[in-house]
Amino acid sequence: MFNLFASEGPHIAIAPEKLFEVGGLVITNSMVYGWIVCIVMMVALIYGARKVTIGGSRGPAQLLDAGVEFFYNMIAGSLGSESRARKYTPYFVTIFFFALIHNWLGLLPIVGKPFTYDDTALFRPFTADFNGTLAMSITAIVLIQTFAIKESGLVKHLRHYFAGSLANPITYLIGLMEIFQELTRLFSLALRLFLNVVIGEILIAIFAYLGGTFGFATAVPFTLMEVFIGLLQAYIFVLLSVSYLSVAIAHSHEHEETA
Amino acid sequence: MELFAAETINTAVLAKGILVGFGGMGPAIAIGLLGASYMSAVSRNPESAKFLGQLFVFVAMAELFGLIAFASIFIVK
Repeated sequence: MFNLFASEGPHIAIAPEKLFEVGGLVITNSMVYGWIVCIVMMVALIYGARKVTIGGSRGPAQLLDAGVEFFYNMIAGSLGSESRARKYTPYFVTIFFFALIHNWLGLLPIVGKPFTYDDTALFRPFTADFNGTLAMSITAIVLIQTFAIKESGLVKHLRHYFAGSLANPITYLIGLMEIFQELTRLFSLALRLFLNVVIGEILIAIFAYLGGTFGFATAVPFTLMEVFIGLLQAYIFVLLSVSYLSVAIAHSHEHEETA
Repeated sequence: MELFAAETINTAVLAKGILVGFGGMGPAIAIGLLGASYMSAVSRNPESAKFLGQLFVFVAMAELFGLIAFASIFIVK
């Protein structure tokens, strides 16, 4: 009877597990699932994008339409002009759907125990891998820096960090701290998405384990919560990236308005 | 006395409990304060109900620290 509540606990892995090696390159389970989801996502999104029409779309393409519209309005509001929104919306919408689809497909029951290879789970959500989310946030920060340099020029962009008189040594100190803050942003973006997804997975695993025979039922509330959190985290990832971009190009924007 | 405690109690379990307890306390207070100020802002000015999306951003920011504490318990051996 008490073996039901054994102290062993469910199998919990914070890091992705190695499946096999191809010529010295380690292939982990999150990479495998990441590739599968990427192929599914590319096919679905390219097919869906062809279905989007000007006078209102039908069927599942409506979701794409609504998502793009929503982010277009949000970016126009936070960057301050429609032309900028037109320029930057494609990237941010892409990253949103990328995170969203990875989060949601990571909740499917095929992820985890059902398929194993050498006693390790064959599939693991790509966003439940710190390497994956770190790659996403590095891409986001590099693109934001590129956009900001393109928008305001390299010298003006650097003056954004080293604001104030250049003869004053404190300017350099504050500038270095501001540059260090970019690193903080990088890691906090990556950690937020990764921890939310991986801890959701752990919670589901723990409650499925505690339920014993009824594990499929006890994990349901947490799975539903994870559906919401997956959407929220994808939205927050994009919202924070947009606000970092709007801070980075705020200088040139003010200049445009006064000139 | 310290030796006694270290030999009979599995201190890692204690450490995990403290980590989850104190690590969850801070974000919980933060989320409570955020919710309280959101509700008072909405009741003063019902138009500010549109800031719900902004609220979730700050909730996620506060939540991150709790999640870091929760993830750390799997590193403690």
